[in-house]
Amino acid sequence: MNKTERKITYAEALQEALSEEMQQSEEVIVMGVDVGVWGNLYGVTKGLLEEFGETRVKDTPISEAAIAGCGIGAALLGMRPVIEIMYIDFISIAMDQIVNHAAKFSYLTAGKAKVPLVIRTQGGVGLSNACQHSQSFESWFANVPGLVVVMPSTPYDAKGLLKSAIRDDRPVIFIEHKKLYRSKGLVPREEYLVPLGKSFVKRKGDDVTIVVTSWMVEKALEAAEILSKKGIKVEVIDPCTLAPLDKEPILESVRKTGKCLVVHEAPKTGGWGGEVVSVIMEYAFDYLDAPVKRIAGLDTQVPYAKEIEFKVVPDKERIVEEVKKLVS
Amino acid sequence: MEKQQLLDMYGKMVEIRKFDKVCVDLTHQGIMWAGFHSYEGQEAVAVGVLSHCGVEDYVLSYHRPQGHALAIGSDPGKVLAEMIGRLGGVGGGRGGPMTFSDWENRFIATATVGSGVPIAAGIGLALQNKKRQGVAVAIFGDGAANTGACHEGINLGGVWKLPVLFVCENNLYGEALPFSKSTAAEHISDRAKGYGIEGVTVDGNDVLAVSKVAGRFIEKARSGDGPSLLEVITYRVRGHYEGDPDNYRTRQEIDIWRRRCPISRFRKYLLEAASCTKKELLVIEQQVENTIQKAKEWALKQPVPTVEQMVDDERITAR
Repeated sequence: MNKTERKITYAEALQEALSEEMQQSEEVIVMGVDVGVWGNLYGVTKGLLEEFGETRVKDTPISEAAIAGCGIGAALLGMRPVIEIMYIDFISIAMDQIVNHAAKFSYLTAGKAKVPLVIRTQGGVGLSNACQHSQSFESWFANVPGLVVVMPSTPYDAKGLLKSAIRDDRPVIFIEHKKLYRSKGLVPREEYLVPLGKSFVKRKGDDVTIVVTSWMVEKALEAAEILSKKGIKVEVIDPCTLAPLDKEPILESVRKTGKCLVVHEAPKTGGWGGEVVSVIMEYAFDYLDAPVKRIAGLDTQVPYAKEIEFKVVPDKERIVEEVKKLVS
Repeated sequence: MEKQQLLDMYGKMVEIRKFDKVCVDLTHQGIMWAGFHSYEGQEAVAVGVLSHCGVEDYVLSYHRPQGHALAIGSDPGKVLAEMIGRLGGVGGGRGGPMTFSDWENRFIATATVGSGVPIAAGIGLALQNKKRQGVAVAIFGDGAANTGACHEGINLGGVWKLPVLFVCENNLYGEALPFSKSTAAEHISDRAKGYGIEGVTVDGNDVLAVSKVAGRFIEKARSGDGPSLLEVITYRVRGHYEGDPDNYRTRQEIDIWRRRCPISRFRKYLLEAASCTKKELLVIEQQVENTIQKAKEWALKQPVPTVEQMVDDERITAR
């Protein structure tokens, strides 16, 4: 750590992004359930109401379709709303607005209308919230042209990507992870952006490529550390933006290592990992030394009981084990 | 109301009717492929409400949008070109008859039922935040009135006192389902009380009655006194979409409503109570006929877009 950086949490990093962007443009507003007085369940919008007032920080009724629709309408008039869907599980109620309208208006008006809307939400297991508060729906959105899908895994990325998302003219689904809000990381004091649509190498290595998203990035990096002690050098790639996907860093890595493991928390069937595997098969098949392997959530519901909640999603032991199989 | 204003309203209603006829014909000729929903019989609603809207205002319409679009001044040629999927259309031919927007005229139609209502609330929020004079008008059907999105959007409008007019264009059928089988309440406007806003039901085939209440509600929204819910009772005399089996109502019922034609009714009023002459009206009718024929000729000359033109390069090819 040097003087230009400090360690803050993922939630604090997101709060800084919102606050900075709201200071820079009056068009940026925040809306959602309990984003104002309460300041969001995890403190992401803490202090914004006091700083910017209730015309720009709006507590809404529990009306996900209206929150999304209202965000779209305001965005059409040039505002840059950041709406919050408290749990990604609740986004199902706003799905029509997001899929049929936010994603379509630019297309339907031949580019005359824009929807610069950010939909912040959070997913994943971790707090014994059971099966209607713990899911991972990113692949739903990655399959809808017109939407940008972002999943930040560190405080640094969370801040820089959220700022970029707010400045982008496209609707962005910004999926945070409930297990990450308290994780700390280095974040510059100076303003910076992390661009959308770029995959990032989070650890360099020559033996195996791991493509991994969100909270699972932490697990993959821990696994890579363990494996390095056994002489296995793992390259960890975090796409950060799932759609549109920046394929090249993934392909470049696979061409080098010849082996790839894709890790995510969502259930395996129809999961976004299948897309990564397909991209590799299409563009880097000749470089592969082994079939691409997926580790994903089990095709089941997320259980409530603390003892088993984490057993339905990948963990570092599983990653270590699969990497060892790949290199053997 | 000034005589010229009345004549303009009459002209617009005739324009919408003649435009509808062209769409019916093009559907039967296979030039308009699918998704055309006739507006015949409902013209008083579009004109009565939207003649109050100007360049500051926004309209959220639904899958039967052509009457609303023409009422706010969309170019009939560009609307028709859109409805037959041609490049010259208001949306480059991308949307077709039920999914088109004319954003240059601040007009959007959404074709999932009820979805426009919360979007109108959001436009209202932006107008409110930017301290602009405009209002958003959300027009939706009796079917839409029972969707969650509609309820959520009107409720939000009430809570935040947004400059929005919610118009339920009750044509007595949601597709094939009669209003009495979709809604236990006598009037959709009765629900206004539950949103803490004012609600009124008017005869939707009486353009002056619609105009009077809509005008008051739009002014109210414009002056910061929040939204209202206007229910207009009308009837669609053709099928839900052109060519539907129409096996859900009687011929007699349709005939009764055909005799309640809002254009004939307004014409009678103009001749008998507004000192208009038959000749004056005939001139308007002929002018409109010319406009629509020219619009049709222009639209039919427009090319079909290529796939490359349809593909939004920034959003889709980037994937």
